[in-house]
Amino acid sequence: MTITQPSGPELADVHAITEQVWSSFLGDEEPLLPRFDAEPFFPAETVWSAAVSVHGGWTGTVTVELSSGVAQSLTRLMLAMEDEPLDDADVADAVGELVNMVGGNVKSLMPGPSALTLPVVAAGRAAHSSELTEVARFDASWHGEPVRVSVHAPQS
Amino acid sequence: MTQSPVTQRAMIIDDSRAMRSILRRIIQSLDFETAEAGHGQEALDQMEGGFAPDLCLIDWNMPVMDGYTFITEVRKRPEWRNITLMMVTTESEQGQIVKALAAGAHEYVIKPFTPDAIVEKLELLGLVSKGVPA
Repeated sequence: MTITQPSGPELADVHAITEQVWSSFLGDEEPLLPRFDAEPFFPAETVWSAAVSVHGGWTGTVTVELSSGVAQSLTRLMLAMEDEPLDDADVADAVGELVNMVGGNVKSLMPGPSALTLPVVAAGRAAHSSELTEVARFDASWHGEPVRVSVHAPQS
Repeated sequence: MTQSPVTQRAMIIDDSRAMRSILRRIIQSLDFETAEAGHGQEALDQMEGGFAPDLCLIDWNMPVMDGYTFITEVRKRPEWRNITLMMVTTESEQGQIVKALAAGAHEYVIKPFTPDAIVEKLELLGLVSKGVPA
C-alpha cells in the first residue's frame, strides 16, 4: 500500500486565510481584491518575499510575495508608524509575521501533527526547492499593488 | 486620601516586533503597564530582574526559547504561580493547544485575532472588567 500526502490546501482556503489575516491586522477599509490577470505583474527588483515550511503529517512551503509598496504599507500599519523612516529590518519583521500567520493557518488545515519553521524573509523573489511543486496560488491586489500567496509541496 | 488603583503589568513575548507592537497597543489601551521580550529566555531574564507581570502573552515559535518551554519554566517557580499565561500563536493543532494548557497556560488565542478577541479572553480571566473598550 502506498500512502500519499494530500498535495495541498484548497485554493479557496488559502484565499480565506489570507483575507482573514489581512482584515484582522490591516483593517477593513481597503479590501484585498483577488486578481485573475496574474502574469506578469511582479517586477523582481521590487518584491519582498517570505516563506515558512511545514514538516510532519504534511510537508510543504507557504510563501507570501508583496510589492515593496505593500510591504512598507503593512509594516507602517502593524507598527503604527506614520512618517518615521522604515528600515529593512522593520519590513522583514512585518512580512515575516504575515507569512507566519498565513502558514500557521494553512498548517492547521493539513494532516498533523507537524511543525512550522521560523519565517525566512528576503528582498527579492522567493526561491523554492526543485523537489517542490506549486499546488495553490492566490493572487490579489491591495491599494492597486500585487500580493501573492503560494503553497508548494512535494509531488505526490 | 484616595488610592489610585494598582496598575496591572503584562509581558509581551513574541519574536516579531510588529506583533509586539500590535499587542502592546491593545494591552496598553486596557491600562496595563507593559514590557516586551523577543523570546522566552529574555522574558525570564526580565522577570528575574524584577519585572513582575500579572499577565504574559506568549508566542509559541520563537528562537532561543519557545513559548511552551517558557511556560514550563514559569510553572516550576512557586513565586510566579499567580501569573496568568496566555498563548497568542499561529499554532492551532488540537494537540498543541492541549499540551500548552496542560503545561500551565490559562488561555489560548490563535493568530490572526481581533482586539476584541483578546479583550474577551482577558474578561474571562478576570483581568479586565466587562465593557472596557480596546
